Amino acid sequence: MNHISQYVMERLGLEEVLAAARKKTVPVHRHSFWYYWGGISLFCFLIQVVTGILLLVYYRPGPEAYESVRQISYEIHFGWLIRSVHNWTANLFLVAVFVHMFSVYFMKAYRAPREFGWLSGILLLLLGLAFGFSGYLLPMDTLAYFATKVGLEIPNALPVIGPPIANLFRGGLEVGEYTVQRFFALHAVILPLLFLPLLGLHLWLVQKHGNAVPPSEEAKPVDQRRSIPFFPNFLARDLAMWLITLNVIALLAALFPWQLGEPADPLSPAPAGIHPEWYFMSQFQVLKIMGTLFPGVAGEAIGMILFTAGLVLWALVPFYDTREKAARRAKKATYFGILVICILVGTTIWGYLGLE
Amino acid sequence: MNYPVWDVPGIGGAWVIGIIAILHVLIAWFAVGGGLYLPLAEQKLYREGREEWLPVLITHSRFFLILTGVFGALSGVGIWFAIGLVHPEATSTLIHNFVFGWAIEWVFFVVELAAAAVYYYSWNRIPRDLHLKVGYLYALSSFLTLVIINGILSFMLTPGSAWLAVAGTGQEASRFWQAFFNPTYWPSLVMRTLACLSLAGIYALITYSRVDDEALARTRTVMVRWSAQWLVPMFLLMPFVLLWFLAMTPKEGMSVLELGITTIGSGAFTQVTRIAMLTIITTVTISGVVYFFAYRFPRDLSPGHAFAILGLAVVATSSTEYARETIRKPYVIGGYMYSNGVRRSEVEKFNTQGYLTASLWKPATDDAVASGHAMFRGQCMSCHTVSGYRSMKRLLQGRDEKAIASMLEMLHRPTPDSMYVKYMPPLVGTREEREALAKFLATLTRPAPPSLAQQEKRQQVMAR
Repeated sequence: MNHISQYVMERLGLEEVLAAARKKTVPVHRHSFWYYWGGISLFCFLIQVVTGILLLVYYRPGPEAYESVRQISYEIHFGWLIRSVHNWTANLFLVAVFVHMFSVYFMKAYRAPREFGWLSGILLLLLGLAFGFSGYLLPMDTLAYFATKVGLEIPNALPVIGPPIANLFRGGLEVGEYTVQRFFALHAVILPLLFLPLLGLHLWLVQKHGNAVPPSEEAKPVDQRRSIPFFPNFLARDLAMWLITLNVIALLAALFPWQLGEPADPLSPAPAGIHPEWYFMSQFQVLKIMGTLFPGVAGEAIGMILFTAGLVLWALVPFYDTREKAARRAKKATYFGILVICILVGTTIWGYLGLE
Repeated sequence: MNYPVWDVPGIGGAWVIGIIAILHVLIAWFAVGGGLYLPLAEQKLYREGREEWLPVLITHSRFFLILTGVFGALSGVGIWFAIGLVHPEATSTLIHNFVFGWAIEWVFFVVELAAAAVYYYSWNRIPRDLHLKVGYLYALSSFLTLVIINGILSFMLTPGSAWLAVAGTGQEASRFWQAFFNPTYWPSLVMRTLACLSLAGIYALITYSRVDDEALARTRTVMVRWSAQWLVPMFLLMPFVLLWFLAMTPKEGMSVLELGITTIGSGAFTQVTRIAMLTIITTVTISGVVYFFAYRFPRDLSPGHAFAILGLAVVATSSTEYARETIRKPYVIGGYMYSNGVRRSEVEKFNTQGYLTASLWKPATDDAVASGHAMFRGQCMSCHTVSGYRSMKRLLQGRDEKAIASMLEMLHRPTPDSMYVKYMPPLVGTREEREALAKFLATLTRPAPPSLAQQEKRQQVMAR
């Protein structure tokens, strides 16, 4: 066995990789728990890739979309499991990414030289949300149909450029089989093509700059800081966390298998209480509030301007809260982060409470 | 049937038992496994000259005493309250059948609690040999409490043919030992013992993970690894014991499990199979996580890791207990009493003479809906709620009174190949009583008239 591993190691140059991994260290302190969330996000993404490929084998976009998902869910052996795991992991992926992003934010891990890591992370989150939105329509059941229809009304409300953008996504004036085709292409080809290189860049930046420590830890003298080798110590912990994540996904998929509703019928009225997935609920609620305050197209336009402005501010924080600037800015950035969490959580709960 | 009916809205009475039982099991099993762990660990420290670790073990024994002696005792009484209220008929049967069993159990309890207190309070006050003897007395008495309670718990799943032959004759106590050493007694005892040992290791990991004194680092590594090894018997033997247990399980329960296994591919499998699958997956996860967190890198074990392992143990324990409960369906005492307290021998009597006829809860008026409500409380509510867990509103959604009545007829005289016969008791009662139940259930599925606030909101929307 040793001979074989040595043979492979020599030819692939794995010794150098392992040596680098052994040299790399991960800080240990009372906030170390948050370091796992990037790894959990990555693990969820890998599950998505594997289950997504398996679903591709049977999924047929276009007019047969609903029927193919019905077969996957109820006829094809273990199809229900693959689909349930894919759906639950999609949700868990976004949870993990949100936790990762906020932990990075509050640990000030966006500061130099990690600005590009922060920006690439935000882009990955946006692509993750796009994965969620495009994947939601693919079963083409009633809920998916109306949620997408409502979702596409948002860009449609933008003056001048809105309708062409919405029509581009829909493949016409109405959500239909062409929309499914386009969303499928987006979900299974275009988004992965954008996501994978960006993910590669993000991971490379993490490797290059290592794990950041929170300011409270940075203030300690170097000899008082603790760390463990990435390989094998931290990797083993990471693997154990992945195992726990897999168990949580198995628990959710086994106890709450993902359901398939009635086939979409454009002529039927929208079901009561139609709403987007939890990760778009906050935006949905803000648009509703703006729609009440400013009736008509203006409300939606103002809502969209608000999101965009908020997102730009969020992305630019590393250039405002730098090590060189006064501590007051660091405090302000922390308050801004708390405010963002309060708005996101508050409007999401408000959105769910407002449903009939 | 004349006991009071306990109405727990939302989660239902079954979940009240479930929540208390899971909490209790996690503590009671720790009491048994930890009872053996403490003197063995103490002996190991003396033998290997690692006495610097004794203060940690004393801390662990204090945690042990408080958790098992206070919370364990409280939750144990809590289970009695809960089962007495949700399943009074079954609890009465257990009390009457196992009077001497309970008496023996209480003797061991008293010895166990006294020994646990003496063990903790006599650290460094009595000779070491004597202290170890107290520890082993505790270990023995706590294991004997498991030996006794296991007979009573496994009886509820498989009372055995000898006891069933005299059930209902008033001679049940004459078959005490046959009922006690019932078909699933031994596999259950081995399975529970393995779980007790695992929990002893897991709780020790929690205490040890909090030790960050560098001077104790080497001993900590040894003790963390040693505690992790307490889970090994479980991982090695559990598959075989599980198969042994299933082989002794009544065929009604097994048929639900088998149906689930054969249809697992299509996803139309039953809940018990999904839960059993979860038990297996979580047990494998625990083995992996303990290996990575505790055995492979003992120095890196943190309290968060140890609590994650305990969290997984909660999932594994809950799902195993849930699966065991589901396998027992449609009975609460296998082959004798259905989960709604109706004895199998009484079914025909209730069908001809009426279920409510001899009931104290029979409504004073002739109102059919009120009679139906009394039927619901007597026969359905031990498993179902109106709008929460196993909600009747949800299960009967879209059905009118006629459809509900026809479903009730199917439950009244189920065909042998009916799915319902595998986990639901037959509905008993005369035709009028069944129709009354249908009338009551139909009131649950009718849409409620909109509230004033809703009406106002709709009017505002319309006006806009």
